[in-house]
Amino acid sequence: MEPVRNTNATLVDLLDRILDKGVVINADVMISVAGIPLIGVSLRAALAGMETMRQYGLMEDWDEQTRNREKWRRDKGLDTSKPYRGKSAYPR
Amino acid sequence: MSEARYIYCIANRDEEKTFGRIGLEKSPVYTIPWKEICVVVHDCVSSPYQSEDQETVRSWLVSHERVIETAWEHFGNVLPLGFDTIVKPDEENDAPENIKKWLMNDYKKLKQKFKKLEGKAEFGVQVFWYPQAIAQKLMETHQQLRNLNKEIQSKPPGMAYLYKQKLDTILRNQMEKEAQRYFEKFYKQIDEKVEEVKVEKVKKSEDEKQMIMNLSCLSPSENSKDLGDDLEKIDKKKEFSVRFTGPWPPYSFVQ
Repeated sequence: MEPVRNTNATLVDLLDRILDKGVVINADVMISVAGIPLIGVSLRAALAGMETMRQYGLMEDWDEQTRNREKWRRDKGLDTSKPYRGKSAYPR
Repeated sequence: MSEARYIYCIANRDEEKTFGRIGLEKSPVYTIPWKEICVVVHDCVSSPYQSEDQETVRSWLVSHERVIETAWEHFGNVLPLGFDTIVKPDEENDAPENIKKWLMNDYKKLKQKFKKLEGKAEFGVQVFWYPQAIAQKLMETHQQLRNLNKEIQSKPPGMAYLYKQKLDTILRNQMEKEAQRYFEKFYKQIDEKVEEVKVEKVKKSEDEKQMIMNLSCLSPSENSKDLGDDLEKIDKKKEFSVRFTGPWPPYSFVQ
C-alpha cells in the first residue's frame, strides 16, 4: 500500500495539520490570529464538496476571481475578515 | 507597509535563497539566515490572513503547504509552522530582528528538533471499520448474542421487542470492546514499524465507514514501504479499510 499525497485527495488531512500543529513561537511580537474560528469547523466540512466541484472545473473562474478580489482588498488595507458585499469596485 | 514577516518553516542550513513568487497570493518567498539555520518567509502587513470566503482560505492553505514542500525538497530537513504565523516589528526592532531574537532564544531547542527529524517524514494512518459487517460477525460468533437472537424468534411481539432492546445493548457494548481490541492490536503493529506515534482524535466520516483509529506516524522516509505492507494487510480484511497519507512535513512532531 502506497501513501496518498495529492492536494485534492488529502486536503482535509492537510487542514488538520496546518491549522492545529507546527512550531509555535512564544513571543509577544507574534500577531494573534483572532480569525482562526473563521477557518475552523465550517471550512473543514465544506471542503470535501468543494473539491469535487473543482475537479469538474465548476468553480475555477470563481476561484480565480475571488482570489484576485481578496488580494485587492488586502492591498487596499480593507477588512478582509468580512465577506465582500459591495458593488464591484474591484477592477476585473 | 509590508513590515511584518509571514513564516512558513525553519530550515537546518544557513543559506540565503529566494524561491520566487510561490507564497500566499503569489508573494515572493525568501530566507532569513541566522547562525546555522534559516527561516522561510514572505513580507506582509501586520495583520493576519483571514477571510470568511472558504475558497480564498483554501487557496492560502494550499500555498502555505506548497512553500513548505518546496523548502523541504531544497533543504531536506524543515520544521513547519502552522498557518498564519506572522512576526511584526515593535518599538525597538524590525520584524527580521524580532525573528532572529526568537531564533536565538529557541536555538538549542530547534537544533534538537532538527536532529530528531533528520531524514524522517510524517505519515497519516486512519483505520476505519464497517460497523454493519462487525455487528454481523458478532451476531454469528458471540454466544450470548446468538442465543438471544434465537429466542427473539420464538417470543410474542411485545416480549420480542424487549429482547431486541437487550440484544442491542449487549451488541453495542461488544462493539465498543471490539473497537478497543482492534485499536490495541493495530496500534502495536504500527508502533513497531515507525519511530514515533501520535494518537489523534477520530473523526466522523460521511459514508457507512467509521473511523476507529487516527494516527500521525514519524518514520524514516525509506521505511514507509514496510508500514504500507502492514497497512495493506489490514486494508484487505473485509471489515476494515485504511487511509494512508504522506509523506508530510513533520507537523505533528515539532511542538
